[in-house]
Amino acid sequence: MAQIDEDDIILVQRGPSPTVAGGFYRSFVETARGLKTTLFKVFGETQTIQYPEEKTPVYPRFRGRHKLHTFEDTGLEKCVGCSLCAAACPADCIRVVAAENDPNNRVSAGERYAAVYEINMSRCIFCGYCEVACPFDAITMGHDYELSDLNRSDLIFTKEMLLAEPIERTPLRTEDE
Amino acid sequence: MPRPEHKEITLTIDGRDVPAIDGQILVDAARGGDIEIPVFCYEPKIGGPVGACRMCLVEIEGISKLQTACSTPVKDGMVVHTQTDRVKGAQQSVVEFLLVNHPLDCPVCDKGGECPLQDISYGYGGGKSRFIEPKRHFVKPLGLSPLIAIDRERCILCYRCVRFSQEVSEDHQLVLLERGASTFVATFDGHPYVAPFSGNIIELCPVGALTSRAYRFRARPWDIEGSGSVCNLCPAQCNVTFTVRDDRVLRVLSRDHDGVDDGWLCDKGRFAYQATHSDERITAPLVRDGDQLRPATWERAIQVASGIARHSGAAAAIVGGETTNEEGLLLGRYLRDTLASHDIDSRQGGALSAGVLRELARTDLQATVPDLEFAHTVLLLDADPVDDAPILDLRIRKGARRNGAQVLVASGRPTALDARAAVAVRHAPGSAASLVLALDAALSGDQGSASSHATDAGSDLEAINALAEALKAGGEDVVIVWGERVTDGAGGEAAAKALVNISATLGLGTREGSGLLELPRGTNGRGLREVGAIPTAGPGLSNPVAVGRSTDEIAAAAAAGDVTALWFLHADPTRDGRNTETWTRAMASAGLVIAHASTLSPELAAHATVVFPAEAGAERDGTITHPDGRIQRLRKAIGSPVDVRPAAAIIARIAEVGSGVDLGPTAGPAGTAAVSAAVSFYAGLNVDEIGGRGLRWQDRDAATNLPAGDVNGESAAPVPAASPNGALRLGTYRSIWASPEVELSPALKFLSRRPTVELSPIDAERIGVTQGQNVDVGTGADVLRATAHLRSDVPAGSIFVESGLAAPGNLPSEGQLIEVNKA
Repeated sequence: MAQIDEDDIILVQRGPSPTVAGGFYRSFVETARGLKTTLFKVFGETQTIQYPEEKTPVYPRFRGRHKLHTFEDTGLEKCVGCSLCAAACPADCIRVVAAENDPNNRVSAGERYAAVYEINMSRCIFCGYCEVACPFDAITMGHDYELSDLNRSDLIFTKEMLLAEPIERTPLRTEDE
Repeated sequence: MPRPEHKEITLTIDGRDVPAIDGQILVDAARGGDIEIPVFCYEPKIGGPVGACRMCLVEIEGISKLQTACSTPVKDGMVVHTQTDRVKGAQQSVVEFLLVNHPLDCPVCDKGGECPLQDISYGYGGGKSRFIEPKRHFVKPLGLSPLIAIDRERCILCYRCVRFSQEVSEDHQLVLLERGASTFVATFDGHPYVAPFSGNIIELCPVGALTSRAYRFRARPWDIEGSGSVCNLCPAQCNVTFTVRDDRVLRVLSRDHDGVDDGWLCDKGRFAYQATHSDERITAPLVRDGDQLRPATWERAIQVASGIARHSGAAAAIVGGETTNEEGLLLGRYLRDTLASHDIDSRQGGALSAGVLRELARTDLQATVPDLEFAHTVLLLDADPVDDAPILDLRIRKGARRNGAQVLVASGRPTALDARAAVAVRHAPGSAASLVLALDAALSGDQGSASSHATDAGSDLEAINALAEALKAGGEDVVIVWGERVTDGAGGEAAAKALVNISATLGLGTREGSGLLELPRGTNGRGLREVGAIPTAGPGLSNPVAVGRSTDEIAAAAAAGDVTALWFLHADPTRDGRNTETWTRAMASAGLVIAHASTLSPELAAHATVVFPAEAGAERDGTITHPDGRIQRLRKAIGSPVDVRPAAAIIARIAEVGSGVDLGPTAGPAGTAAVSAAVSFYAGLNVDEIGGRGLRWQDRDAATNLPAGDVNGESAAPVPAASPNGALRLGTYRSIWASPEVELSPALKFLSRRPTVELSPIDAERIGVTQGQNVDVGTGADVLRATAHLRSDVPAGSIFVESGLAAPGNLPSEGQLIEVNKA
């Protein structure tokens, strides 16, 4: 064992040992004072959200899972497969393979449509650049944030999944919330 | 016309001194000084400026109005401004004007992301339009041809495509119809624009008006990667960039190389990439099991193929033109050093001796591709560049059009350049050798001998004398482009010597811009010869230990049982239309037939013992040698299918398993180093030196290692042309479209050839056929049914049968008489 130099030892200054009353004060009154907020909340409104039975409400502009849109009147896809979302994506998680429309069996309104449209949700950083880049408002960010799954390949969302009307599971915050 | 001399001058652009060449166009001069002047219509490769788009307006001091920089030659002391308010205002106005009728369908347009109009609108446009009226509308998109879609709304009328058609490919098909805002590009009568070089207008179009139908909506510029390589479909070896997405080739673009292709591509090079991803391609080794070829494991395929070791002394190899130098060297080594066989050939028409080959390869006799452009005279000897090496056709036209080069033609079959030719001489098919001898005699003034050779060639003396006169009178720089078939057959060697003689008479060796340029049949014909894949020479055109058999002799020997193992490296002789019957017998009687192929011909399917899947062009790595001596690298652009391996590795593995020998490095820089170590005049060459642009071995110091030639030996005289006596003299030709890649590419399939014969209207009338009717060529069991195509340029008494087809028929060799009847 190494020799300890006397100069290296610093004595800790202790306070005077507490009296009985002082000890009681410190154990009960000070503790209760510290718990004051907590104790009052016990009797107030419940703040806990019983997830997953209950969901956290999100703001209308929350950026959750993407949605692809169709025209309401014709039912054609708004997406023309231009790949601008893929170009804008900083996480490189969008893959678009375009194809030419068959005039007799149209998929989109223009000459071209997205034959493959995939978003890899495990890579997506939900920045919303795809929505900004889209010249046809075909892709928007939805409100769904429940995107966990049991394996990674299930997190690649195909065009059909993105086009399907999502089950609205996420409550929106009201204006004054 | 010799290359113009350049006078250096200096001008001032935006306050900066820019060095330039006197007479250079201002846009080019500015680019040289790192100043960008935006252009749409200006493209010096197409020809003179037209000043159609007005995008390049600049202010030049001393001239009150703005000037188009694309049509203004520079002169010393010129002061130019490109950044003044006046210029910027003009640029904004021009962009606004161009966008008046241009639809805003960039998200749909295939050009989006790589569109000069987008770039220039962002860079020089005002960002807003005052035009609120409806835009001009056309039906969109139309098929301009099965390969090209045209969207006339997007056209900004820059004339580039029309100028290409009129002035570069000279097919004169594209025109502008209507006037004013209604103007559009089309063919005059609305027929599809089908031409060998039509695809270039896609690359030329500065907007999305002309797009490739094969690439339509396939990818965006940010989805893809470009991978530079060299097209290996013909000896022209154009430099290309493969557009790759998800490990698939989606498009082929030109990688402009002045020394090779001048920035153009033929449609085969541009669209035949589709064959790479064809379902019909062989992607696993096949081994014969009874009467069928079945997929097998690699171990088994190698095991079976390595049985070649038991055929020592009786093995022979045919090496196809697509083979790289590395593969050719490796197979030659294995055959010669281990299997004690010298029977390896990469030429079809018989072998030339090593001495003659060396003489023809002489550095001073070698013309380069740019020489074609600047020569006074270009002589084509039994070669039609549009079929043999298409891109050279454009180069010769460029020389004739811009520099007034004189084009002379001497060929059996009429060529595409006949219309450009000052003198066009016809000879009997297969008698090119006699014609060369006659020309040699005529040039040296030996009229007696010229007359007899002319008769042998089935040609007439006066025409040959006219050719000789034109050669002498045309100017000093002469380039002789000769097809490999000149040296075919018995008189091949004599013809080669006569060629050397002609070069000496015309003094081709003494002038920089003149010489000989051979068009071999195979892509890498020159390289394979130089690495020793021929029976008469070892690597580096050295004298061989022993002379082996040539292609035709191998067929005969195999059919007779003297050769018991055949190795077809990227070759299928039954497709060439020569000796098909002998080859079929040869393959049937050989004990072992190894083939490397992408597709199976019926004969291979029936007789091959092992078939190894061949790599496609975009999957290959290695070096090939251009006909003018430029060594270029094939670079792997995409991965091969799982079960496709490089041929060099297969050869090395067979040698290892069968004979227990190590052939050394097979691929990569080490493989190339092995080639440069084996070929004396490639000495020291490595992949870094070759680089992306290649280099000619004649320009390196090692070129002096080329051993001296030898043209003194006796050579056999050519066989005189038969006189057509009711029957017709048979000639063959291989069209640019006659290749398996064309048949396998969906986009090009409409161009794939059916058996066709070309004959003169005189003979057609005698036989009683008209254009498009069927004729039977030959008699008995070997009859070939083909469609008659009447060409007035075909001399009476000759018939030309298309070769290189899947079912070539069994025809006698070129020059022989054949009976032709109405079907």
